Amino acid sequence: MSALLQYLITGVSRGFLFALLATGFVVIFRVTKVVNFAQGAFVVLGGFIAYSLLAAGVPHGVSEGLAVLATAGIGLVFGAITILGNLTPVAALITTIGLAIASEAIAMLVWGTTPLSFSGLGGTDLHLGHVLVQPQYLLLIGVSLVVLVGLWLVLERTYVGKGLTACASNPYAARLAGINVKRMGLLAFGLGGALGGLGGVLIMPLFPLTYDGDVNLAILGFAAAIVGGLTSPGLALVGGLVFGIAEQLVAGYWSQANETAVALGLMIVLLLWNAYRQRAEQVA
Amino acid sequence: MTPPAPASPDARIDGPALVLRVDDLVVRYGAAVALDGVNLTVARGEMVALIGANGAGKTTLLNTLSGVLTPAAGRIELGGRLAHVPEGRELFADLTVDDNLRLGAWRAPSRDTGPIYDVFPKLRNLAARRAGHLSGGEQQMVAIGRALMAAPDLLAVDELSQGLAPIVVQEIGSHLVRLNEEVGLSVLLVEQNARLALDLCPRAYVLETGRVAEEGPSARLRQEAAVQHAYLGGHVSS
Amino acid sequence: MNGAPRRRQPDLPRAVALVVVGAATLALPLVLNTPQLTIYVTVGLFTMAVAGLSLLMGFAGQVSLGQGAFYGIGAYTAAIMAVHGWPPLLALVLAPVMTTAIAVVLGAVLLRLRGHALAFGTLAVQLIFLSVLSQTPSLTGGDVGLSGIPALGIGSFTLTSHLGYAYFVWLAAAAVLLVSRNITRSRPGRGLRAMATAPSAAAATGVNVVSYRLRDFALSAAYAGLAGGIYAFYLGYISPDAFPIMLSIEFVIMVVVGGLGTVSGAFVGAAAITVVTQVLSSLGTGPTLPAQLPAVLSDGVYALILITVLRLLPDGIVGACSRLARGAVAAGARVARRREPPPVGEAEAAPVVASAEPAQPEIAGLVPPRRGA
Repeated sequence: MSALLQYLITGVSRGFLFALLATGFVVIFRVTKVVNFAQGAFVVLGGFIAYSLLAAGVPHGVSEGLAVLATAGIGLVFGAITILGNLTPVAALITTIGLAIASEAIAMLVWGTTPLSFSGLGGTDLHLGHVLVQPQYLLLIGVSLVVLVGLWLVLERTYVGKGLTACASNPYAARLAGINVKRMGLLAFGLGGALGGLGGVLIMPLFPLTYDGDVNLAILGFAAAIVGGLTSPGLALVGGLVFGIAEQLVAGYWSQANETAVALGLMIVLLLWNAYRQRAEQVA
Repeated sequence: MTPPAPASPDARIDGPALVLRVDDLVVRYGAAVALDGVNLTVARGEMVALIGANGAGKTTLLNTLSGVLTPAAGRIELGGRLAHVPEGRELFADLTVDDNLRLGAWRAPSRDTGPIYDVFPKLRNLAARRAGHLSGGEQQMVAIGRALMAAPDLLAVDELSQGLAPIVVQEIGSHLVRLNEEVGLSVLLVEQNARLALDLCPRAYVLETGRVAEEGPSARLRQEAAVQHAYLGGHVSS
Repeated sequence: MNGAPRRRQPDLPRAVALVVVGAATLALPLVLNTPQLTIYVTVGLFTMAVAGLSLLMGFAGQVSLGQGAFYGIGAYTAAIMAVHGWPPLLALVLAPVMTTAIAVVLGAVLLRLRGHALAFGTLAVQLIFLSVLSQTPSLTGGDVGLSGIPALGIGSFTLTSHLGYAYFVWLAAAAVLLVSRNITRSRPGRGLRAMATAPSAAAATGVNVVSYRLRDFALSAAYAGLAGGIYAFYLGYISPDAFPIMLSIEFVIMVVVGGLGTVSGAFVGAAAITVVTQVLSSLGTGPTLPAQLPAVLSDGVYALILITVLRLLPDGIVGACSRLARGAVAAGARVARRREPPPVGEAEAAPVVASAEPAQPEIAGLVPPRRGA
């Protein structure tokens, strides 16, 4: 029982990381129709930048905040490279693969190849029944939840948020209404970068990150985003939690080596289901 | 907005009084020529029809005016703000009517949708409905309302009547005429339904395969044999 | 229609180029030292894997991030059988057979996906493949890998020298390119091209999109499987480290650099990237240099290529050269028939002259549609 609780807590934490990644995929895809392969790179770079700032003596909170701002900026640059010009979705996807590799190269050059971590939220572990919970887990869950709900409110309630939705819903009409669709795409990339960076600074005290960890993160975030067909932020959160918890349960009760295979198999099933649903919609 | 000058049609089409002037406009899709030297003007406060068959280049002209397409040659002068009601309405289907209207004001000073509900009272009760769930006529009102939110000097409407029952078209058309008469809104009405367009607008252009084939007061065009034959089903309407 | 004579015109220069490249690549191994021969063999193997991916990307307009997995499946199939005492040549033949069988099963499912979904789906296949490898140590040697793979041979003749493998790979790669060339010129090839430009239109004209795409996917896997099989015998030792995700991405880079859907582009891309990687590796290796520098340099170059080539040379090196040559031929034709109007619009749609098969001015999914000038 206590083992299950432990798996669930770890799974939910990982799930929120995936949800942040997935929401980044969704925000960017809705507006630009680009699947950003470099989404995992934001996590790694965000974590690494915070690591360096902390090592330089910048206090907690400030370091993490600056790292998130930095990844937002990186997101803008990635967005500019990807959506300015007239690339097809597949060419844009290949471009973002290039950006992911560029990020790996930079991370390798600056931070080396060993896994990095930093200490997170201090304080004593909390007792939950027989299970000890590090405060960082609660920080990760709490901050992610607040940010995701806040982002949802921004998208649903604010004028700019509705502008983003308008670009997603009908880019032609958005353009006729005077909305600069490319600029909104850049905004989406900036948001995606910030979401990834936030995931990085929150997860790094719990799970060390390596320069080339971005591909696995990207594919799991993508898998979570696919639950909502790449367009629903709410279902991206659900997807993140499903994949986070499933990963920990498989690792805990079966074998750690199988967790990736199970998650990816599930992702393929979801992709097929999406394709089937889209085809059914087209026929209808 | 200034009310239309009570002068003869010819006197109205003068330099400073123009809201749109298109000179020798050429637009190409690859090797195909969609517009081949189009000349067209709309005076401030005027309501002008642009009629022509499917593929004549009407929508291409509007998309070029809105900057969606880039002309290969020619000049476009706009004396103010243009708002474009696209063919097929193109609403933000997932958003509410009120949100659709408000998004029309992206570049305009006011996001107050009240005046639109005054123009189309029917929409007031539908404000919270998703635009995608409305009837065709209601959607057309939202599309026009969204364009009006941009506080335009010239409203370009593409295929007002498409897919709508005649009675609905009459209703929306009368709204446009009222806007034109009461606040002096200039309108460029692009229509395949020539009879409707000629009834609503005092002056008209006939576009044929990328060129202006005819131009003049609607009353005269309506009597011309060629126009009757091609666009009015051979019947004299009066 | 004056397109037909113009199509025949470039046959001579192309044949000359083919003979020159063929002769040069045949003569080259004789002057190379052992490390250089290893690069030569690698280029040949990658050419085969890339030729398959190029078919899929260029003709079906789809990106696979799992080509490295098929390369690996071929290698493991050959290695496992050979280690268990099967005749090496039979093991090598079974490598592409096994790979094709797996590709048909996977493709029947995965090819319902398109674009980014297919890219991530195939990426998942490779990750699952790697996971399976580390889970089955009794069969595949797990993370340690398989060693003691016997040399390739038949009867008493065995292929042991680098030179021998170099020529064997040359033959295999030439065979693969020949098959590819015939396929791109055949009716199915034209069907695939129609599919790339407009799948619905292709379907409407009776081209069976799904079955061509599956055939293409299976063939693409077969090429990679054969290359992987040779690789296993050549090295005598394989491990999961030899088939990382990066390998699949490198194959994509090679396709992009060489030119999508061009047969010669597979060789050009594989050679260019392999050689550049080797040069960077030697530049970045030194006693005072950080250990990760070669990887940083090659990753940096890969990234730069992926980001810039699709914008600047959307049809790759071969496509760009073809355009240049086509321009020259068109100019020549214009001079020769001065009284005819310049074939501006035609030159755009005219077949590629210098590459091994007709051009695809608009490869769906990768080259943006031409906008009004």
